[in-house]
Amino acid sequence: MKTKQLFYLSVLTVAITFSSCKKDDPEPALGGGTAGTSYASGIFVTNEGTFGSGTGTINFYNRSTGAVSNDIFEAKNGYPLGNIVQSMELFNSKAYIVVNNAGKVEVADGTSFATAGTISGFTYPRYFLGINSGKGYVSEWGAGGVAGAIKVVDLSTKTITGTITTGKGAEGMVLAGSKVYVACGGGFDNDSVVTVINSNTNAVTTNIYVGANPKSIKMDANGKIWVLCSGQWDPTYTFLISPAKLVRIDTATATVDLTLPFASTFSQPSSLVTNNAKTTLYYSYSGGVYAHSYAASVLSGTAIINRSFYGLGVDPTNDYFYGSDAVDFSSNGKVIRYNASATLVDSFAVGVIPGNFFFK
Amino acid sequence: MNFIKINCMLLLAVQSFSGYAQEVHVDSSKQLKTVEVSSSRLNLFANSNKTESFDSTFLNRYSSSNLADILTNESQLFIKSYGLGSLATSSFRGSGASHTSVLWNGFNLQSPMNGLIDLSLIPANFMSNVKIQYGGAGALWGTGAVGGSIHLNSSAEYNRGITVSTNTSFGSFSDKQQQASLEISKKRFITSIKLFNHDAKNDFPFINTAQYGKPEQKQSNAELKEYGLLQENYFQINKKQKINTHFWYQFNDRNIPPSMTQNINVSNQKDELFRFTSEWQRKGEKVNTFVRAAYFDEYLFFADSSIDIDTKSRTKVFISEAETRFSISKFDLLNVGVNNTYSEASTEDFISNPHQNRVAVFASYKIHTKNNSWNAVLSARQEFLENKAIPFCPSIGVRGKFLKYFFIKANAAKHYRIPTFNDLYWAQGGNPTLQPETGWSEEASLEHLYAAKHISWELSATAFNRNIDNWIIWLPNNYGIWSPENVLQVWSRGLEYKLKINISKNKFHFQLGGFYNYVLSTNEKAATPGDESLGKQLIYVPIQNAQGNMTVSYKGTSFTYVQVYTGYRYTLSDNTKYLKPYTFGNISVAQAFSLPTSKIKIFAQLNNVWQETYQVLAYRAMPLLNYQVGLSLIFNQSNQKSTINQ
Repeated sequence: MKTKQLFYLSVLTVAITFSSCKKDDPEPALGGGTAGTSYASGIFVTNEGTFGSGTGTINFYNRSTGAVSNDIFEAKNGYPLGNIVQSMELFNSKAYIVVNNAGKVEVADGTSFATAGTISGFTYPRYFLGINSGKGYVSEWGAGGVAGAIKVVDLSTKTITGTITTGKGAEGMVLAGSKVYVACGGGFDNDSVVTVINSNTNAVTTNIYVGANPKSIKMDANGKIWVLCSGQWDPTYTFLISPAKLVRIDTATATVDLTLPFASTFSQPSSLVTNNAKTTLYYSYSGGVYAHSYAASVLSGTAIINRSFYGLGVDPTNDYFYGSDAVDFSSNGKVIRYNASATLVDSFAVGVIPGNFFFK
Repeated sequence: MNFIKINCMLLLAVQSFSGYAQEVHVDSSKQLKTVEVSSSRLNLFANSNKTESFDSTFLNRYSSSNLADILTNESQLFIKSYGLGSLATSSFRGSGASHTSVLWNGFNLQSPMNGLIDLSLIPANFMSNVKIQYGGAGALWGTGAVGGSIHLNSSAEYNRGITVSTNTSFGSFSDKQQQASLEISKKRFITSIKLFNHDAKNDFPFINTAQYGKPEQKQSNAELKEYGLLQENYFQINKKQKINTHFWYQFNDRNIPPSMTQNINVSNQKDELFRFTSEWQRKGEKVNTFVRAAYFDEYLFFADSSIDIDTKSRTKVFISEAETRFSISKFDLLNVGVNNTYSEASTEDFISNPHQNRVAVFASYKIHTKNNSWNAVLSARQEFLENKAIPFCPSIGVRGKFLKYFFIKANAAKHYRIPTFNDLYWAQGGNPTLQPETGWSEEASLEHLYAAKHISWELSATAFNRNIDNWIIWLPNNYGIWSPENVLQVWSRGLEYKLKINISKNKFHFQLGGFYNYVLSTNEKAATPGDESLGKQLIYVPIQNAQGNMTVSYKGTSFTYVQVYTGYRYTLSDNTKYLKPYTFGNISVAQAFSLPTSKIKIFAQLNNVWQETYQVLAYRAMPLLNYQVGLSLIFNQSNQKSTINQ
């Protein structure tokens, strides 16, 4: 009797097992990084990584072969970059990788990507700017995300040597002569200034009022500085109480000489980049990518690419346009390439939430 | 939930009738006592679902633990824990954290703001029993009962006299707990109070593999302090009418530790909750009627000075429910009821403080054979959200006994989950046009139950299938604003096996058990063009998990060993990254001394005895070997004869 019962049970169990196991191989197919041997020439893509407890990564795209290396930092060094990789700059053959939520800058050899130490002690750092062989600036949001500052870094000792107080939410920086222009995007609050710093003395020379929440900043072929202000929300986040603006600064007088407001009351432009000649500016806005000639005095109403991107970049070697797509923000993203006339070329897979590019 | 007065004969009848035959240890000393037990819709109308039950004897073994610890070690659920003492949520058969309804005395505790409940904040000793119902059950429990439901119940025994108990324990990482309870149990009246206090630093050492040089670090910012009170009353008004009330207060103050990829975290979360439930019941000759109400008032304070956040949110939920139960013939039972749930929230993160009222009518009808060996249940619920009908939610189930020791169960049930306040009203991005997530779940189980004088065993195999449509996810829209949409379609299916063997002879008792689950839970719809998560396993859903356990006891001495295995979990939705499987073993030992009116117990719990380094969630460190040791004292003074004869 007992044997018979066990028989029935096993027959049923086996039947159920076979009928429902449609997917035979649950084992993961891929994981970890794929290292290239050296990263002499190509594009670095910084990926923020998953929210919360994840790690950001960096991809390297070889411009001539089209090969993509994944997570090149961990593959080389055996430990991850940390939570939210914001941006990367190459300066004097070193890569400075800004890791926002881990409050640090990882330094690596610009070609082999072997670690060259960690600079710690930042609070929500955003971008790195090399000043001279011994000195770099790191913009940060500071305590509470409302105490914007530039941290002065001694590049040889890899320590922070000073703090320059700026407007709130220090973001993008441009070096023009000996002056550093810092877009102060408000951080977790609002601000509307570009702080100008004398990089020889580390002293603030002036604050230029540009428009609500300037985040990205670029210099054009005339040596003028363009600032993209993302506008300010009303307290209920239903409309922009202060519109977004594209603003031009004349560096000779340190004053605004052109202000171009955006029409939308809810779409915020972002990611200001330029072509190699610095004669055309590009930015994301309202579900598309728009171009703006440095000589134009009105904003274009027509997108050159009808697709929204999380981050933008232009390759200075050929003016190819790079747009990043974070897809569902919890899986690997994509980079889509367009040629100089905004025609789709190809795309390649990168890490989670690709946000910024560095072209080498 | 409701309570019925039954003697042991009826208790046993109801238990086997409703599929709780696995509760084989019925204390023979209780046989002639009057016990208040749960006879909620779960017991009467959900017996075609797979269920697991943890009784008070079992929970007592984990007296210094929280519900998340117990479910991690003993249930077939996957518990997503952020670390020792941190947030822990459940995943039923590959569903999301908000797809579990947690019911206390029959009332849903899910937060109206985020649909979650943190299982690590539920002290084990506050519950008399915990039951787990697998599968969707929208018709019985309404919104949120998608993957399954966890039922936290109270029960008490009349006429036991005065019982005082204390429990003190010390553990690794400065863990200190004190508990005390007092119960006065008369023939028609029971009142009890339970108190607990818990402090821990949780500063366990770990190797931080996510930092340069892989340094050994101590977990920082992980301190917790919590205390609470549970006050319960049962009163028999007369032969037909009874009333009970339950009040649960708790305060938790926890720092939130950084992940291994963050360097520091300075955030702190405080939760304060006031929960009150009450029920009046009338048990007539033919008709049983229940009227019950609950009020939950909960605060959450979150502060993180590094991002300039110091917020307070408060939710209030008022639930009232009435139901009546009667038989039309000898072979059936009908239950009809109405539920009204009002919830509101106040926080700075919403444009205005939202409130919501939902009315539901529900019914269940069971037909059964004369000896109850076969029965079928048809249930349905129609809920109205602010006077708009939510999709009609039916279910059907069958349970039958054959070949003396075999049971077959099968059911199909619709389920739904309404969008939370955060989904609807968050500033910025809340989407007031969201639809409820809906779908069907089906399951079939074959159980083999055998019981003889000294041996009993239980074997079961369950196959399930579940679809969830309109699964809500947050994504940035074309303008870069994060907003929730009804996007995904998730298909889950799998197999679950369970085994349990009991051998008892004289004062020797041996139990061997285990389970194995195989779960596929895949996204069947692309969220965006080129979404590589299509057809892939959801993140943090292990395809395989298993557990084995063994208990040996002789007189007052007991030894338990549990080994838990959790398989690969993907951490990215396109399944290109994953966490390795892990397995850990826990040992618990106890020695009890029984004296005429008191009982003393010394216990020790050792966790992760084989020193496994593992992560449940990516870059969240977990402790190696850790322990708790404690002492519990129970003193009971029986009622005098005169009290009994009152």
